[in-house]
Amino acid sequence: MELREINYNKGDYVETASGNKVCRQTVLCGSQNIILQGKVIVQSEAIIRGDLANVRTGRYCIISKEAVIRPPYKKFSKGVAFFPLVMGDHVFVGEGSLVSAGVVGSYVYIGKNCVIGRRCILKDCCVIEDNTVLAPETVVPPFTRYGGSPGMNIGDLPECQADLMVDYTRSYYQHFQPTKII
Amino acid sequence: MSYIVSPDVVKYACTCGLLKPISCLYFCRYCCELRCGFCVCHEVDSHFCGKCCENLPSSEARLKKNRCGNCYICPCCQQELSTRIGSKGPSNPEDPKSTPKKMYYLSCLYCRWSSRDVGIPDQGAATGGWPERENVHANRLQEVIEGYKAFITAQRQQKEREKKKQRGKFISYTDRTGVTAAALRKRIGLPAEVPNTYYRNRPKPPEVAIAREEVEDFPEDLLTKALNLMEITTIDQRLLQPDLQPTTVDKLFPIHKQLSIKRSLRCRSCEHNVSKPEYNPNSVKFKIQLFAYYHIPEVRIVTVEPLRAGKTAELILKFTNPTQHQTVITFLPLDLTDKGGDGDREVVGETQSLNLPEKQPPSLGGQPSSLLSLSSRQPSITIKPRPIRQATNCSIAIPGSKVILPPRDDAAEYDDSGETHNIQDDTKLVVWRKSNKAFVKLAVTPDDGLELNTEIVAGFTMQHIYTNTIATTVENKEPDRHDHNVRVFLSLGNLVGSE
Repeated sequence: MELREINYNKGDYVETASGNKVCRQTVLCGSQNIILQGKVIVQSEAIIRGDLANVRTGRYCIISKEAVIRPPYKKFSKGVAFFPLVMGDHVFVGEGSLVSAGVVGSYVYIGKNCVIGRRCILKDCCVIEDNTVLAPETVVPPFTRYGGSPGMNIGDLPECQADLMVDYTRSYYQHFQPTKII
Repeated sequence: MSYIVSPDVVKYACTCGLLKPISCLYFCRYCCELRCGFCVCHEVDSHFCGKCCENLPSSEARLKKNRCGNCYICPCCQQELSTRIGSKGPSNPEDPKSTPKKMYYLSCLYCRWSSRDVGIPDQGAATGGWPERENVHANRLQEVIEGYKAFITAQRQQKEREKKKQRGKFISYTDRTGVTAAALRKRIGLPAEVPNTYYRNRPKPPEVAIAREEVEDFPEDLLTKALNLMEITTIDQRLLQPDLQPTTVDKLFPIHKQLSIKRSLRCRSCEHNVSKPEYNPNSVKFKIQLFAYYHIPEVRIVTVEPLRAGKTAELILKFTNPTQHQTVITFLPLDLTDKGGDGDREVVGETQSLNLPEKQPPSLGGQPSSLLSLSSRQPSITIKPRPIRQATNCSIAIPGSKVILPPRDDAAEYDDSGETHNIQDDTKLVVWRKSNKAFVKLAVTPDDGLELNTEIVAGFTMQHIYTNTIATTVENKEPDRHDHNVRVFLSLGNLVGSE
């Protein structure tokens, strides 16, 4: 199916010179530590915790409503340390998902209401289905589909997954348009 | 989108007769045919561990029983185990300033199982060194395996010897007169000689297993002791370790993680690769990628009006040209003559003759002669195409005019200037177009007398011009252009009632 137009209220979003579209109703803590590479959409009520550690996304990332991007921590004998969270290009994070991964590769699709445990590594070209709970420190290899709680490998992806994701995130960005006032 | 999480609403008929979304199909450039995962040859390229992403040569993988040497999974919940540090008192008790000694143990971060639960001693090194569990029957299993291996080699030698005998240079005349060595032996009363060397060199068979006569007594406490289900393993947990099959949780031990593979796919009729991944397990690139998504125009459903039995509805489809060459799309009625066994052959033959004149029969003859010399590999078996099972219950008005799709242009995305295509379109057919995409309006009519909520499936044959860039002959430098037919099936949703 072709994507439908996704309309938003023009006043609610800030568009930067590099094409990032960030909703005003978001919580971006420590915004000096958040780097959005360009053409990134951050939708309403999303939370990005830049105050804990650096967060860097690639191009064409979509962070849906109520998603939480939270850098992972690790416990040491002398306290807790936070690590930066790096996201590749063409990543989709579904509504209400919590991402606490260490690395999210490129062309990754994360469904709705997922929990990506701390310090998980999502390699390029993987799909996390809706309502998945990934245990901390899980590694998701390329071309795999994870689902369930605890998240398990439940299938393979077609080899052209990278192009499908590029096409999906690009068309999402193109269809994400302000409501036209007639 | 539809290929990632939603159900597949547009399906293409593969040459073998299966219906697949375009993302799961391959396009062999040499046969000019669609191939799917079920009609190509799968070959294992490399083994790797999904956790540490380390490549293992196939011999080593076999030696390790296709498991990673360093990574473990939890015997309780099958999640990956991670190494934790648990410090134990200072390495030197006399010196209070000495650093505490680091000890490592395995722990599951999902179900909180740890190697300390089952009494595995902590390790001094972070990786490796974990005690391996020996199977109590390992010796016996090895003996049996070796026995059968010897048996196989002996049999093979025997076969070869027989072959040699048949091709003997000299014809034995004693065979014809009936005076053979065996007959002579019989006549003079000697025991018959064991006729061939096979029985003489027969390998010693493994020791026969004998059932024990005395059986253990029935354990009384099975009936008297209260059952604690928290201590009993589940069937999944037992079957995860087929050689041990622990019945209680205190016998669960970490399991080596199973390896994953990278595979290359090969067309069965021409033996060319249609997909070959790069060696690096982290790489998502391919050395050879003949996916249908890059060669066949993609069809997507944009909108469809509510479907009512016998009433015409408007359907808008989006066509995308993924290639670097202009193509023309022609609509043809769906060929549904391929319902029977014979008709099916005809249809396939027709498409083949359309693409490659005088193509060899779809058997081993389809191999190029250069490949026939490669006798080391087993010749792949061609799968006989099967009839398409999908029935259609909706007719599509086939438009007479054609749709031209310009080549794909990656720079078009950054081009904000107006579209400058000079394509004379049939305005009744093409609603809108942008770079290599066109939105096409079609009229569909669900069959009369269908029940409410029936799933409506429509189909048509899409003919597109395929430009083959591989130079078939030296003198023919021009890219080869020919028509290619694909049967497309659309699931348009369910039938709704009248207003």
